[in-house]
Amino acid sequence: MFQGQRGWFCRSVSQDLRQFWVAEGGTISDAQAANFLFSCDASHPDTMRIYQSLDYIEDNATVFHACYLSAVASAEIKSSVPLGHFMLPPACLQKEIRRKIGSFIWEQDQHFLTEKHDEV
Amino acid sequence: ETDSSSKTLKYRCSGCIAVGQSLNSRNFSNLLHSCPYQCDRHKVIVEVEDRYKSELRKSLICNKKILLTPRRRRQLSIES
Ligand SMILES: [Zn+2]
Repeated sequence: MFQGQRGWFCRSVSQDLRQFWVAEGGTISDAQAANFLFSCDASHPDTMRIYQSLDYIEDNATVFHACYLSAVASAEIKSSVPLGHFMLPPACLQKEIRRKIGSFIWEQDQHFLTEKHDEV
Repeated sequence: ETDSSSKTLKYRCSGCIAVGQSLNSRNFSNLLHSCPYQCDRHKVIVEVEDRYKSELRKSLICNKKILLTPRRRRQLSIES
């Protein structure tokens, strides 16, 4: 599924999800070289560095919540999970966004994800 | 009717329908910006983030100006 893709992982992302990425053919790289940026915590210093980068300001760096990978792992058709639902905006904007649209999709999935995790 | 039309719109949002490897952290923002049928969620996120980014851009330009002022530059070289 991720053959030939380079992923950067914030230290907030669990080892399980990194291993899944690699098992699916992805490689792990630094933020500069990566074409996928994953985090589980927008306020983690690693991820904050992305939001402070020129790449982010110039619309070239969207961080995605790493639970996209758990969603892919549990989906019947792996390629059917829309990556766009897992946008992770900077922590300082999340309150305002939540007020306008309710909880993020990755927040709604949380319950389902923990359930899934318990089974493993 | 409102419900079905909002559903149609939802399905047309590039941020919601795009799947597969072609989509990634480098091109997602451009894809959303060029989508004429953004869903409510993506529209809000894009608006809030765009405003934030333009603030960041402004402060970046400001900082650069401060750094490039000769007096400030002298100060910096004395400090270091
Ligand atoms: Zn959308």
